[in-house]
Amino acid sequence: MPTLTIDNRRIEVPEGTKVIEAAEALGIMIPRFCYHRALGSVGACRVCAVKIVDGTRKGVQMSCMLDVEEGMVVSTDDPEAVAMRRHVIEWLMLHHPHDCPVCDEGGHCLLQDMTVSGGHGLRRYLGNKRTHLDQYLGPRIQHEMNRCIQCYRCVRYYREFSGYRDLGVTGIGNRVYFGREREGTLENPFSGNLIDICPTGVFTDKPARYFGRRWDLQRGPSVCIHCSLGCSVTVGARYREVARVEARYAKAVNGHFICDRGRWGFPYTNEASRPRAARVDGEATTVGEACAAARNRLLHVAETAGSEAVACLGSERAGLETLKAVAGICRANGWADPLFWLERRARENVAAAVSLLGDDLVLSLRELEAADCVLVFGADPLGEAPMAALALRQARRQGAPVFVFDPRPVELPLDFHHVPLAIEDLPECIRSLVGAAGDRETARGADPTVRSFTDQLAEPSVPPPPEAVAALRTSRRPAVVCGTDVTDAAAIGLAADFAALMKAQGRRAGLFYLMPGANGFGAALAGTEAASLEELLPRIEGGEIRALVAVEADPLGLYPDRGRIEAAMRKLDLLVVLDYLDTDSAAAADVFLPSTTVFETGGTWINQEGRIQIVRGAHRGGIPVSQTGGGGHPPRVFMEEVPGGQAAASGQTLTRLSPAEVKGASEWVRLPPDTDKQSGTRAVLPDPSALRFAPERTALSGAAGDEAMLTVIAVDRTFGTEVLSSRSPWLSAEETAPTVWMHPEEAGRVPLSDGDLLEIDAGGGSLVLPVKIVENMARRTLVIPRHRDAAWQRLGATRLRIERDCIRKAQPVGENAPVKESPPR
Amino acid sequence: MLPADLREKLERTIETADHPRELAVDVMMALQEHYGHLSDEAVAEAAQLLDMSEVEIDELATFYTFIYREPVGRYVIHVCDSLICWMDGYEKLRDHLARKLNIAMGGTTDDGLFTLLPVCCVGYCDRSPAMLVNRRVHGNLTPEKVDAILDGLRESARSADETSSG
Amino acid sequence: MMSATPKKEYPQVLLANRHPDRIATLEEYRSSGGYRALADTLGAGPQDSLKETIAAAVLLGRGGAAFPAGVKLKTVADDAPFPRFLICNADEMEPGTFKDRVLIHADPHQLIEGMALTAYMASAEKGIIFIRPEYESAARILEREVGIAREAGYLGENILDSGFSFDIDVHRSGGRYICGEVTAQINALMGKRPNPAQPPPYPTEKGLWGLPTVVNNVETLCCVPHILRNGADWFQSLALTESGAGTKLYGVSGRVNRPGCFELPIGIPLSEIIEDYAGGMRDGRRFKACLPGGASTGFLPVEHYHIAMDFDSLKSVGNRLGTAAIMVFDETDCLVAATWNLLEFFARESCGWCTPCREGFPYLRDLLWRIENGQGEPEMIGALRELCRDMSYAYCAFSPGGIAPVESLLDLYEEEIVAHIEGKGCPFRKRS
Ligand SMILES: Cc1cc2nc3c(=O)[nH]c(=O)nc-3n(C[C@H](O)[C@H](O)[C@H](O)COP(=O)(O)O)c2cc1C
Ligand code: SF4
Ligand code: FES
Repeated sequence: MPTLTIDNRRIEVPEGTKVIEAAEALGIMIPRFCYHRALGSVGACRVCAVKIVDGTRKGVQMSCMLDVEEGMVVSTDDPEAVAMRRHVIEWLMLHHPHDCPVCDEGGHCLLQDMTVSGGHGLRRYLGNKRTHLDQYLGPRIQHEMNRCIQCYRCVRYYREFSGYRDLGVTGIGNRVYFGREREGTLENPFSGNLIDICPTGVFTDKPARYFGRRWDLQRGPSVCIHCSLGCSVTVGARYREVARVEARYAKAVNGHFICDRGRWGFPYTNEASRPRAARVDGEATTVGEACAAARNRLLHVAETAGSEAVACLGSERAGLETLKAVAGICRANGWADPLFWLERRARENVAAAVSLLGDDLVLSLRELEAADCVLVFGADPLGEAPMAALALRQARRQGAPVFVFDPRPVELPLDFHHVPLAIEDLPECIRSLVGAAGDRETARGADPTVRSFTDQLAEPSVPPPPEAVAALRTSRRPAVVCGTDVTDAAAIGLAADFAALMKAQGRRAGLFYLMPGANGFGAALAGTEAASLEELLPRIEGGEIRALVAVEADPLGLYPDRGRIEAAMRKLDLLVVLDYLDTDSAAAADVFLPSTTVFETGGTWINQEGRIQIVRGAHRGGIPVSQTGGGGHPPRVFMEEVPGGQAAASGQTLTRLSPAEVKGASEWVRLPPDTDKQSGTRAVLPDPSALRFAPERTALSGAAGDEAMLTVIAVDRTFGTEVLSSRSPWLSAEETAPTVWMHPEEAGRVPLSDGDLLEIDAGGGSLVLPVKIVENMARRTLVIPRHRDAAWQRLGATRLRIERDCIRKAQPVGENAPVKESPPR
Repeated sequence: MLPADLREKLERTIETADHPRELAVDVMMALQEHYGHLSDEAVAEAAQLLDMSEVEIDELATFYTFIYREPVGRYVIHVCDSLICWMDGYEKLRDHLARKLNIAMGGTTDDGLFTLLPVCCVGYCDRSPAMLVNRRVHGNLTPEKVDAILDGLRESARSADETSSG
Repeated sequence: MMSATPKKEYPQVLLANRHPDRIATLEEYRSSGGYRALADTLGAGPQDSLKETIAAAVLLGRGGAAFPAGVKLKTVADDAPFPRFLICNADEMEPGTFKDRVLIHADPHQLIEGMALTAYMASAEKGIIFIRPEYESAARILEREVGIAREAGYLGENILDSGFSFDIDVHRSGGRYICGEVTAQINALMGKRPNPAQPPPYPTEKGLWGLPTVVNNVETLCCVPHILRNGADWFQSLALTESGAGTKLYGVSGRVNRPGCFELPIGIPLSEIIEDYAGGMRDGRRFKACLPGGASTGFLPVEHYHIAMDFDSLKSVGNRLGTAAIMVFDETDCLVAATWNLLEFFARESCGWCTPCREGFPYLRDLLWRIENGQGEPEMIGALRELCRDMSYAYCAFSPGGIAPVESLLDLYEEEIVAHIEGKGCPFRKRS
């Protein structure tokens, strides 16, 4: 660890640290444009000049390119270095337009800061400014090439870091141009980071343009709730409207970046259709009235049909406060066990994952990047948790081979081995890989689950791919990534066993699960005795359950058997819905209560690695000024009420409609004492032993081989399926029209060609979708996106097996737009 | 559309390369030879042949002097404007050419025969002033010599057209 | 300023087989001793002793940077991975420079043998000649002669039954000055944008495709067979000065009667080159200055007219031998205008990677254009100096090279600049 002196202060830093980083550790921010912590040093902009007073290379040097040395003496305020830095700023301003007053970067522009702090105020250069034409880059990113200072961060991020190839640098000399081959939307689902990473205003957030300076916004730290990773974001709001979301640095989770789903998924919070008022039997009323009505009616059901006749359903998108409130209200009133899941498989899968994710195995997203071999089981990272795909890319860039065992046509921004096996074969495949992981004997001394696992090893029926075997043999830091969406508890259990086994062999093995929703982990913990709606449905259908309270949950819109759930809802005497979305269930509610979003009241979320993240609201909320409109802002008359401001956090509202006395929602969340509430990013694994869920490790062996059967899976896509972000108008263009994916061999058997219509008779009715034939997927499998236009709710389940003769080619009939059901009431 | 034989030839060369990308300049040059310039279509074809994205091709195409992303005449005349040629009458040579061809630097004659461009030192300072015609050098230039070269080019264009149409 | 002594005869080594209008054939090269070094050394002795010979000969790189070729070979570690590459830098885009063109056109097999020997010393199995597109005829010659050498057994599998295999590809550049810089050239060869890459890692450690790569100039490689055949002492003895070694191709252009490329000893006086070989100054004018080694060197004023043309002598007067491309100016030439023309070149060719070079050259060009054309202001001199100082902190050697003429203009000819500014125009321009 060399010790060096910077501006007369000594600091010891690890070998290989750059001078610019050592200075930063001392709190000295040496100017930089091309250097970025995530992208590293390239020495292009030359603005980080310092004077090396003592060291191997003396004189003016670039601090981003220079490794620290023992005894090095650095001066950042040496006149020569200052003059050089000032000159660089002058150079960069030669062609930069003086459009700061209308530039959306103004106020948080690195170039602006440097120009001011460097003291460059007078133009000496007498030549003209070089100008460029801008490109249309899609609905989300505005391009203003004249502002470019050629730091190359954009292409380096876009191509090297994130692995997409449609942005580049053309031209030479002072005419280099950063853009696409031709106008068009950027293909990179992580393209929004260009906005954050560009030190000036070349790439700005298009939807947020001209809305307000950064200092005008009510800004606050928040977490992204569009998938289970829980990336850190900063939200900025103004005029009761969320204006933009930016990536917030989180060392252990997302690093510097977020995905576009997370950046532009927020419009649900501003929607004009967002229900702001309480309703009883379709009539708007006050929240107080509606709470009273709900309470009375619930009491009435409990009195007439027994307290067990009331059920309460939460969901994995709600915060922990809400989920705990659901569990608490059920317990306090003696209602049926709380429900957090629609399907039993989802409940079991998440419970299995949560109960197996021990402190010793769990990997953070950052740690996943450091793996030297990654095995992905039953997961489509880009679709289910986009930033995980970016983490896999970083692992790959460091040399780790990546293997994906999944039936879907998985795509990732990296080169990887895809084994498109049938989902039923996954457990057997994981089992077969264990042999490849090396010496089984040494693992025998390991813990009992691992031992029993290795004992079970028979001849695997699914031979492991030889590349994976070879990679595993030499891997020191293998990582197992496992999905919980299309998999089953057996595969989830085996994935954990596999990681544990490799750990027992003395490797630094780790486990990384993907989970549904932003708070699937929290749901599993909050509802240790919970059931799923699927399991409860017979009791609704049988008339035992007479009332349902749905909290930030939409059984009508999301239960995979639309016909059945509609019929069941019709049987209820009472449906109470608490939500901030205008869901089908909200429309059908007898009593509706508006609630608030994460941006308004914050909450606690536990991400898929068990990290508790507590965030506060960033603004008060209410109906955006742009919607109340009519020049009413600022208000001419003083009002205490904020328009649309009656909504409250659903956990709080729940306590108001509970017939029995319940504690305040916030008290239900008991966090480990060392949770750091300020940063909200303290890694704490809640005690999973509470779950005690031990999944069966048996597979439906040979099931996939049954020629007469097909497996249908309804899946998540990067854009268009996640409940909240699929409401974003800026992302809708990126949704691909829903199709059913099938392997050419399967298509050939029907026979079908690309674009033909396929009719599927499934558990919940029949649906018709155009076919997309793809090579890189499993045979005997149909993959359907859970897209609102895909009528996937007629499948009956999100993963099911059907007879081969349940599918046939359909004829296009007049208008073949898929039918979208309307709410029953 | 690329003729099948050229495509096949390029595909065969690319197949034998350890890294297709190393042939990027060669492939661009071959396509340029065929199309006259590296058209958008050619960029797309190069990208497809080399398994690169179009902008990755364009990044290279727009870097190099001898790849033309815009249409050029059948004969591209590059006049050296670097030090020695400039001292030895580049400006006069340029003006002479411009007058003779009735185009300015950067222009192409209406008949599509000539494009006039400046170029950096071409390595013929011992025969200054110099110019290139389709990358072939002509040195020790005088107005008379230039006229003769232009006439010769016109003549060979005419006879080539006649043989191809006849 | 005619020298009194008659023209001396110096040994011709690299250009021994030069013919006015054609290349030397394989036979001619062979009968002049060509490929003997290859036959004698391949497989015969340890490669280390060969490298020692090159090092002892103090063969300084002829591409402009004057890096010792022997040292470069030794930086390829014994246990460095395979395959390894040898690149012959035939980009030759330094304004004023045309010696590599002459070498290839004179005696291509000399280069081929030089490459094979250098590859043998570095255990490289693949050679690439990176050639500028303007040299299409040279590229074709090389392609043809490489084939001939291959047929004769000097290239390809198991050369001369030695167990050593090596072959050469000719790669045509798309044309840009920066492609001559080693790291940019390696990027260009990999189909990337030819931006330079600052070492470490050095190309001899991680070059082409991340593998050890030796890059040498055409002329450097051409010296190798002669050194290995005749020994380091012989090579040293060719030079006229103590610290020099070998002969050098001097390319003379500008205001001389007979511009051309001449093989003369290292250390020969500049005046002798100009007078005895380049035919003296044109039109009876007087020598004012020259750029002694291409556009990336400073002006060498008339005081140094008799300077010994070797690396050390030029260094001692704050200049560089560079590529030994001597561009001569007479008393009627305006050096402000000449510098402006050079800046046109550098501004056009800057690769655009780093700020000082990308923005600095157009800035310098603008200032000099204004001074030359009557728009000069006194404070521009200070601005020029500041620009030069900070442009020396650029990413690669392009910018320090490009400012060399400007710096020397400021140091040596400030009064000419002042005359431009005060006289609101160029005092050299003939008023009509
Ligand atoms: C901007 C720039 C251009 C260069 N151009 C050439 C060139 O055209 N030919 C060449 O041999 N070396 C050129 N060099 C020098 C090379 O970087 C390198 O030093 C040389 O090729 C190494 O070979 P040598 O050691 O045999 O001289 C250039 C260097 C710079 C910085
Ligand atoms: S576009 Fe922005 S990020 Fe990219 S190089 Fe220009 S200034 Fe840098
Ligand atoms: S300056 Fe024109 S060929 Fe060299």
